[in-house]
Amino acid sequence: MLEIKNIHKAYGKNEVLKGVDLKIDKGDVVVILGPSGSGKTTLLRCINFLEKPDEGHANFGESDVNLKTISKKQIHEIRQRVAFVFQNYNLFNNKTALENVTLGLITGRKIHKAKAEEIGKKALDNVGLSEKYDFYPSQLSGGQQQRVGIARAVALNPDIILFDEPTSALDPELVGEVLTVMKNIAKEGTTMLVVTHEMSFAQDVANRVIFMDGGVVVEEGEPNQIFTRPKEERTKQFLKRILPEFTYTI
Amino acid sequence: MLNYKFLVDTFFVALSGAPTAILITVVSLLIAIPLGFLLALVRINEVKFFNRFAQVYVSFIRGTPMIVQIFIIYNSVPLILATIFTKLNIKINIYDVNPIWYAFIVFSLNTIAILTEVFRSALGTVSKGQLEAAQSVGLTNVQAYTKIIIPQALVVALPNICTAITNLIKGTSLCYAMSLKEITLRAKVAANVGYNYVEAYIDIFLVYLIICIIVEYGFKLYENRLRAYKGVSA
Repeated sequence: MLEIKNIHKAYGKNEVLKGVDLKIDKGDVVVILGPSGSGKTTLLRCINFLEKPDEGHANFGESDVNLKTISKKQIHEIRQRVAFVFQNYNLFNNKTALENVTLGLITGRKIHKAKAEEIGKKALDNVGLSEKYDFYPSQLSGGQQQRVGIARAVALNPDIILFDEPTSALDPELVGEVLTVMKNIAKEGTTMLVVTHEMSFAQDVANRVIFMDGGVVVEEGEPNQIFTRPKEERTKQFLKRILPEFTYTI
Repeated sequence: MLNYKFLVDTFFVALSGAPTAILITVVSLLIAIPLGFLLALVRINEVKFFNRFAQVYVSFIRGTPMIVQIFIIYNSVPLILATIFTKLNIKINIYDVNPIWYAFIVFSLNTIAILTEVFRSALGTVSKGQLEAAQSVGLTNVQAYTKIIIPQALVVALPNICTAITNLIKGTSLCYAMSLKEITLRAKVAANVGYNYVEAYIDIFLVYLIICIIVEYGFKLYENRLRAYKGVSA
């Protein structure tokens, strides 16, 4: 459903993406792992054009698009089908939780307010926030804010949802509630592309893991294969530091 | 001591100049708010050429005394217009023009410069993530600004806008140098009759103070309303 070919992105002299290919099918839950600076967040942000790629081609299921010459109209269309969940939630601070979720529907897609609120309330119920429709972000905990952020993305009914380290800014106790929501969404068949350091999510929910380093894809495959039998040396080095070596049961 | 009858009478004389002062303020604001906002956007987005122009413009206005700006405009604009009018054969006597028009020019130019900086700094307090989130849910940039960014920037800008307005109101007192019949000039003229300057100055002070306190109170109410979404400070 989404195919990216040869994406390049540089900031001045610093080349962050050095030719990345990516293919995502409907229903895939793909996790991108890698050290900081590997380009994983930049890759994600290029997909919905929060960053403008220098070079590359993308195919969103219809025709091939040259990312260098893409038009504003095309970007706008792509954003209708790709939703984003941010590391620091980026909720609209001057809007309530419900308004956050419905703003894109009412103003962006011209959906009737009543229908938008119906969709919004259902989305908020699904993330466990039925009591918080009229609360402002300043009145919500980090975990609650991120769940609103996820509800906001889900309500748009996108083809694919991009998650940029969704739990990295949360207290450890709140990480669990957000991961649970993400697991439920994955179970419902949502196509997800997730940059994260939460290995449990990658091992339990993802059907594909991509390891990036230095602006390129080093290795990709099924979670079991990557975590237990990594092929590349770089992958092994990275996993050694991230995964616990042994688990004892006494 | 003070001549109390004069004190009270002159208060109302001074007050009679208030409509003029308020008119200059309102006209200047109507012109300066949209233009100031536009220039603020130009500065933030570093639009080629206009960015430099905006920087120089603000520096110049901020760096020169308002009273001198008034002198220059009041003395040079009539000459320029007179030459233009004679060349185009327009039969308007430039010296019949009410000085309030020059006041409109000077104070608009001034307030544009001030508001550019006010809006530029206020917009800067809204994090880039708000715009990115708005774009991600499919809003156009105009929608993002009107619904999300400007409302949040406005809360921050309000105290500075209040300062700019009270400075504007007080600044109109300098228009007495153009023989414009506003608060200061009217009271001074009344004082000239019996040499009751101290009483006149007290009354002038009071009139400006009352107008500015009313403006401040209005802003306080508005600010409290806009701040509702920020919740109770931790």
